[in-house]
Amino acid sequence: MNKLTFWRFLPFAVLLVFTAPLIIVISSLFGEYSENWSHLFEFVLIDYISSSLYLVIGVSLLVFILGTVTAWTVTSYNFTGKRIFEWALILPLSIPPYILAYTFTGLFDHYGDANNLVRFLFNLENSSIFFPNVRNIYGAIIVFAFTLYPYVYLVSRSAFINQSRSMKESARILGLNQYQVFYKLALPLIRPAAIGGLMLVIMETLSDFGAVDHFAIQTFTTGIFRTWYGLYDIQTAMQLASLLLLTVGVFYLIERQSRGEGIYTSRNSTYSPNQQESLKGYKALIAFLICFIPIFIGFILPIIELLLWAFEVNLEFFSNKFIENSINTLTLSLATGLVCAALALLINFSIRFTPNELILRLSYLLSIGYAVPGLILAVGMVQLMVFLDANVFLGFEFVLTGSLFGLILAYIIKTYALANSSIESGYERLSHALDDSAKLLGSSGFRMLKNVHIPLLKTSILTSVLLVMSDVVKELPATLILRPFNFETLAVSTYTYASEERMLQAAAPAIAIVLIGLIPIVFLSKMIRSSRPVEEK
Amino acid sequence: MNEIVLEINNLSHGYNENNEFLQNINLDISSGEKVAILGPSGCGKSTLLRLIAGLEKPNTGDIKINGQLVSSNNFLTPPEKRNIGLVVQEKALFPHLSIHENISFGIKKDKEKNTIVSDLLNLFKIEDLKNKYPHEISGGEQQRVALARSLAPNPKFLMLDEPFSALDKNLKESLYEEISEVFSRKNSTILLVTHDNSEAQIMTDRQIKMEQGQLL
Repeated sequence: MNKLTFWRFLPFAVLLVFTAPLIIVISSLFGEYSENWSHLFEFVLIDYISSSLYLVIGVSLLVFILGTVTAWTVTSYNFTGKRIFEWALILPLSIPPYILAYTFTGLFDHYGDANNLVRFLFNLENSSIFFPNVRNIYGAIIVFAFTLYPYVYLVSRSAFINQSRSMKESARILGLNQYQVFYKLALPLIRPAAIGGLMLVIMETLSDFGAVDHFAIQTFTTGIFRTWYGLYDIQTAMQLASLLLLTVGVFYLIERQSRGEGIYTSRNSTYSPNQQESLKGYKALIAFLICFIPIFIGFILPIIELLLWAFEVNLEFFSNKFIENSINTLTLSLATGLVCAALALLINFSIRFTPNELILRLSYLLSIGYAVPGLILAVGMVQLMVFLDANVFLGFEFVLTGSLFGLILAYIIKTYALANSSIESGYERLSHALDDSAKLLGSSGFRMLKNVHIPLLKTSILTSVLLVMSDVVKELPATLILRPFNFETLAVSTYTYASEERMLQAAAPAIAIVLIGLIPIVFLSKMIRSSRPVEEK
Repeated sequence: MNEIVLEINNLSHGYNENNEFLQNINLDISSGEKVAILGPSGCGKSTLLRLIAGLEKPNTGDIKINGQLVSSNNFLTPPEKRNIGLVVQEKALFPHLSIHENISFGIKKDKEKNTIVSDLLNLFKIEDLKNKYPHEISGGEQQRVALARSLAPNPKFLMLDEPFSALDKNLKESLYEEISEVFSRKNSTILLVTHDNSEAQIMTDRQIKMEQGQLL
């Protein structure tokens, strides 16, 4: 194979591997339908659809309000704490929804810490209850909304910053007050960006397994899991997974479409930056609370609860099991991070080396994995591994099935988009003139990659490895299904303890997950600090 | 004698009392009058318009519109309650609204809004553009739409902040005459700020120079 053929062939080969588990899942729709399917179809499918729908509608509404109002507040006003809120509002992204769900039940259940605290403070009987039951769809909506609103906050903030001051001032002069300017002008203007953010939130909500399982809500993901592990019917589980995959696919397409739509900004040669109004007194207090409450519910409260649990069991951070699970998690995430970064580097290099419309389109498809629920990937991956064992490794039993290979491959498919985004943006900053100079000096192909690109893309490569690692650490359903027997990670261990209602023991791995999840937040907050509008004196 | 529409008394403004870039401004404009403030970039012309619009609060002095106090260092009528118009160089058209929707933006509750918009479209010769969006029309057409939009609520007076500076010379010259004719037909009261002397001469009856934050 000559050099040119290799670079052209690479994206096709990777796409084949990435889409194989999804094709296997979708192909189940054309297979046989068992009695279990008829049972599901008659009795529970409507529940899965309706609760998923309620969840998506509730979460979308709440996320839209939280994300846009907080973004508007920090971009339009100056008040105490604003500079901290600008980046702190993304902190809840480091808490996976299932961990917030565990801490919510720990706080608000009948004998939860919040109810106990109120009883203690007012010296009341044990039967008194102050906080409503959270183990229901409303509790789930709150959990998802307060962990996922940063997706909408981030895009809304960026869109609000790019709106021209003179456009808003024209609206004021034409008769709108400052609140009307928000909902009649600024909000409609950020519609494409906000829809993009909302689609990501919907995909995350539909993909979740840990939180809905903890709240005992019947959704597609819990249904797939029960069909497989309760009824031992993988064919029906795959058929259910196909329906979910098609639904997620629709939201994925809307999200891609919204990226292509013109975002209504006014960045031109005469753009004038926003003027921020200084707030004092009760108005400053309201702005403070608007920003503080989402951070309190989505980050501070769960952290406090986790720390309380951790200290109650005298910090289990140094138990053998915790250390072993941490090493397993770090090994898996590091391996995935390195492979993803290497793959993204090679593919972006191949696109640069052989620019071609088809390869460019294929490279977009490679990022589809981030939209696929981990559970669906796991279902498809198990079938793929079984197929390979039966047809490639003849004479050997279960070489790939139940091995770390399948798990790492699923992680790679799921997180490749993160590695790619970092390396792609790194490449965008590299001038093509550098390639031309390198070629003239006799360096092309792998030599150019090794001697020119890799040294210049060091930061992008490191960022992509860290982003992937922090996402792998949080991944629950794929790990739960694909891990080898008796192999545990921090996420699995948190889930196992929580499902046995051993919340105190779940604290240490949960805190470790949150701490690792903070890594991308540090990068994002740096970007936020550098994207402030020009300050008015 | 025509009534005074805009009255500015001893107006000063700056980030603080020691750093005032507008100093002791006094200005009266009568109904139907067309006045230009001429001065180099950075002399404080645009800030003066922002103060009149209510987008900033003065350090000292006051501003009256139709005899009513609208701005002083302890009182500020919000911009939306002043019924004045402002057109800026940037044009600031709403990109998600059609030309018709842009022009009717400030008169949504007016029963006559369709008639007003149609008259303005006709007056500025932009009837064919009414269903288009701002990005689909040229710079000169955008400026016509911005002027039509600001005139739709029938403001007490219209302020123009370097409205033609982003346009090329030929287009500017054709617009000067066209727009001046519209203003004359409507008997609009105009306050234009510009650094272009010929623009000021063609568009207005009275020109006042401004240097280092002071009217000369």
